[in-house]
Amino acid sequence: MKDLAYLDAGSGSLIVQAVVGGVAGVAVAAKLYWRRLTSRFRKQPSEQD
Amino acid sequence: MVPPSSAPATSTTPETDLRPDPGSFRDPANRVLHADGQILRGLGPRAAEDWQALVGTEFFPRLIAEGKICGTEALEPQAVPASQAGQWSTVLRHERIPFVSYPYEWSFAMLRDAALLHLEILRTAVPAGFTTKDGSAYNLQWRGVEPVFIDIGSFEPARDGEPWAGYRQFCQTMLYPLLLQAHLGLDFQPWLRSRIDGLEAGQLRKLFDGTRRFRAGVLKHVHLHDAMQNRFAGASTGAVREQLKDAGFSRELVLATLRAIDKLVRRLDWQPPQSHWSDYRETCTYSDADREQKEEFVATALTEAGRPGLVLDLGANDGTYSRLAARHADYVVAVESDPAVVDQLYRRLSAEGERRILPLVMDLADPSPGGGWRGVERASFAARADADAVLALAVVHHLAIGRNVPLPEILDWLVGLMPTAGGDGRLVVEFVHPDDPMAVRLLANKPAGIFPDYHRDEFERLLAQRCTIVRRTELASGTRTLYVGTPRDRG
Ligand SMILES: C[S@@+](CC[C@H](N)C(=O)[O-])C[C@H]1O[C@@H](n2cnc3c(N)ncnc32)[C@H](O)[C@@H]1O
Repeated sequence: MKDLAYLDAGSGSLIVQAVVGGVAGVAVAAKLYWRRLTSRFRKQPSEQD
Repeated sequence: MVPPSSAPATSTTPETDLRPDPGSFRDPANRVLHADGQILRGLGPRAAEDWQALVGTEFFPRLIAEGKICGTEALEPQAVPASQAGQWSTVLRHERIPFVSYPYEWSFAMLRDAALLHLEILRTAVPAGFTTKDGSAYNLQWRGVEPVFIDIGSFEPARDGEPWAGYRQFCQTMLYPLLLQAHLGLDFQPWLRSRIDGLEAGQLRKLFDGTRRFRAGVLKHVHLHDAMQNRFAGASTGAVREQLKDAGFSRELVLATLRAIDKLVRRLDWQPPQSHWSDYRETCTYSDADREQKEEFVATALTEAGRPGLVLDLGANDGTYSRLAARHADYVVAVESDPAVVDQLYRRLSAEGERRILPLVMDLADPSPGGGWRGVERASFAARADADAVLALAVVHHLAIGRNVPLPEILDWLVGLMPTAGGDGRLVVEFVHPDDPMAVRLLANKPAGIFPDYHRDEFERLLAQRCTIVRRTELASGTRTLYVGTPRDRG
């Protein structure tokens, strides 16, 4: 990925921030979650997580 | 040294003493340097670009003018120290912070105010298209009781659709310690001192089990945070950033998140249990006559040898003598081991707008050691202390009797806190005689006769070995003696 910061921001920590941000943020987190889930089923786990 | 082609033309300022700050290596884009008493920061090409953008904003100069960000200016190329020429695209000079301190030496309200300042700065920067790369409590320092943001290298232009990269660090070094103290009444200082990166969500989660999880902020910032960290442990942050952006993460959402954190931090408070204060009152009692005599003695000791720059007031309690010292010195660091006492002192000084007294939580029998990488990333208290005067008033007996520290050791340590003051240094020390009620009380908890050397003649003999005793006075009560001494040259 481009431009990674010197500090490891933590993937989980990035996502939680959406939830902290309120309703709109929860929607963003849900969308991300759903997409990660469905994309895993479509293309077999290439980016294993 | 061969300057790379991009180097500023020439540099003509030779320096006599230059060393990189041992605590400034984590972000390779910039580095803090100490040069002849100046605090400089070298910026690589990318950081220099960010700096250019930053000084062009409206908010950055304003926050400096308001005292919230530490004063900073770019050096003219010819002012750059010779050894650094060609190494950096730009070199900045920072305002000098009078005494560097660390979050594990701050009280609850200090850490909270520091956290609020960090959030305020971020909430000012984000609408202007900037963010901070990190969120560490170590980004902050103090001018008296006024927090200051010092990590200029942390600012960078924000990329749209990205959350704050410093959130995790903010939790670990500020929010979690505050939750620990506000919700569970546990002093956070030892936790921060022993872990340079702060507390982990997973550790805190164990402390906030059962119904404690429903305390303000705990469910999201601790439990959910830990669960997400585990769930996404293998996902690269780069990929997750992209995915968040695609899912609609926006600058407004960053601001909403920061608002929510700010609101939470403001709600967190800590009041020490009532019993604390009632026990406390009795431990520092004086007659009015004693007090007057003592104040006069201390004031004279501080004024007769010219104005001291830095005064350390050890065992400062409610700060009576710190305030007195601040009238005669440039800066006073008030050290006290009781976090509740420091917290109250901080709140009072803060309400008064006092800017020359810095209260710190530290046990004199266990002063802050060096920490982090090689034990020097954070300097020990002794390494930071370069005082012109040291006040040790009604505290030596706590160390000698309460903690069994031998008197010669105590005196060596006190004198050692003024390593460069020489004959201008001032040690103002109070010896509480073994028959004083406070000493009697402390001695009652130790086997009889365990401290045969604890008496005034021996104390005076030991003091005279290390200092020229300028004056001594016995207080009216007859059970305490005050001394002022100047360290002997023991070279
Ligand atoms: C008797 S009061 C003296 C206060 C003030 N210096 C004066 O002379 O009025 C002693 C203070 O020292 C603090 N103290 C005792 N042991 C200490 C230690 N090991 N480290 C730091 N402070 C300590 C106590 O909490 C208390 O506030």
